[in-house]
Amino acid sequence: MGNTEQSSLVAFNHVGKIYNTGTIALKDVHFGIKEGEFISFLGPSGCGKSTALRMVAGLEDATTGSVLVDGKEPKRVIRESNDIAFVFQEANLLPWRTVQENVILPLELRGGSAKEHKAEALRVLEMVGLKDYVKAYPRQLSGGMKMRVSIARALAARPKLLLMDEPFAALDEITRQTLQMELLDIWQREKMTVLFVTHNVFEAVLLSSQIAVMSARPGRLSALIDVELPYPRTLSMRTERSFGEYVELASTYLEHGALQKELG
Amino acid sequence: MAATMETLKTGAAEAARKPRGGFRRTFLNYYAGPITAFLIVIALWELVPLWLGMKPFILPKPTDVLKAAAEDWRILWEAVRITVVESVIGFLLSAVIGIAVSVLLASSLVLERSIYPYAIILQTIPVVAVAPLVVIWFGAGYNSIVVIAFLIGFFPVISNTLMGLNSVDRSMDELFTLYNSSKWQKMWKLRLPSAMPYMMAGLKISCTLSIVGVIVGEYVAGIGGGKGGLGYAITIAAVQMKTPFLFACGIAAAILGIAFYLVVNMIANRVLGSWHESAMKTRR
Repeated sequence: MGNTEQSSLVAFNHVGKIYNTGTIALKDVHFGIKEGEFISFLGPSGCGKSTALRMVAGLEDATTGSVLVDGKEPKRVIRESNDIAFVFQEANLLPWRTVQENVILPLELRGGSAKEHKAEALRVLEMVGLKDYVKAYPRQLSGGMKMRVSIARALAARPKLLLMDEPFAALDEITRQTLQMELLDIWQREKMTVLFVTHNVFEAVLLSSQIAVMSARPGRLSALIDVELPYPRTLSMRTERSFGEYVELASTYLEHGALQKELG
Repeated sequence: MAATMETLKTGAAEAARKPRGGFRRTFLNYYAGPITAFLIVIALWELVPLWLGMKPFILPKPTDVLKAAAEDWRILWEAVRITVVESVIGFLLSAVIGIAVSVLLASSLVLERSIYPYAIILQTIPVVAVAPLVVIWFGAGYNSIVVIAFLIGFFPVISNTLMGLNSVDRSMDELFTLYNSSKWQKMWKLRLPSAMPYMMAGLKISCTLSIVGVIVGEYVAGIGGGKGGLGYAITIAAVQMKTPFLFACGIAAAILGIAFYLVVNMIANRVLGSWHESAMKTRR
């Protein structure tokens, strides 16, 4: 775990979160995330992994400690730039706007020329393979396509930091695999830092360069695993022995967290 | 084996017949019932007074009503015209002011909490009780009638729009926050469009109410004003015991209400058009 170094893009400094109901969502989470990392927050439901992600986006405040992005408070980063983008579990598209209009929303809210926005919309829609759907409405798209639009919208602002809260959880297996591979591709080309929340061990190992394993009640960081599988990764890697070892390692920490809870 | 083949064959034949009888089938399923019921009621209405020997000024037969309408069609037409103008103005006032006030209330929780309860109290006072006061303030005639129509149509717009403005999906709201949107950007680009379906539901209620409001208004205020709309024509017909004409006026008011509703409904479908479920269903 170690200290949160100066070089970290995202720094959790002894972060604790207690809800008004008395539930302890997070307890003394202390670590740093380096720029360019693809890090997964892996844990059972109720371990505070979503809460941690929402804190990085400034949507939630820490009760104790602090979360810093680029050395600044997340809310300040959001005020000043489009550096932080968020992808929710649902696509969250505005049904009265076309795909293109949905994608340019972040740019529109910040102002600027419509012509530039259009060019940017085309760039990101091409990236997610939806260039031919600019004029379509969300209801005409499948679940997977909607999520693609949602990702395109997040990319439209050219963020430094992409936060994703179980973005593929509601999709079918085949669509999920395709989107996982596309996301990795985009991550490598755009050189962003991705924070990815999941409860799926295989997904975490397949995608991440680093896994933050968390345990529930109270939510704590139980391990940081560096996944040293080479990129670009492929779906066929899942059958390799080293892949299996990482899955096993992560699972052990997950169970260990659960075990600790039962004992103590 | 032979038996199953037989049932398969008849099944296939039935399936093939279905699309061909499409129009006839929908006609029989959806329209035949109401039309038959309508004809039976009209026939009974015509025959029962005849059998009982009732006088037309007690219960006029449909033919009496038609005759009265035809004889005085000029008065009826003029009354309808005036009522239409008044209720459209009253409706537009309640739509515009209703939506504007909702946006204002929704933009501040303090404002909403302090003012909305009084809007509800205002709504519980019956229009008939307020109407004479309106006449004192605005004088007998058009102004008072429009104000009364506005008063009755105003609340459904406010309560529905406000509900819509306040039921925006939480993560959508957070998304806008993440993109540093201002309060008014959120209002114009997120809350108002999301409230559209609610707003349209409010307008649909309000448009039929505005006709009720106008007729009530004419009852109370129109008497002093001389020439008036349907409400005025109804009071005159009642005083003069012209019951068949009274019926004609009542039926005209009902048709007006339905027509007004259909127009607003059409506009609502046009506005929600491509994206909202409620509008899409009627399109299919």
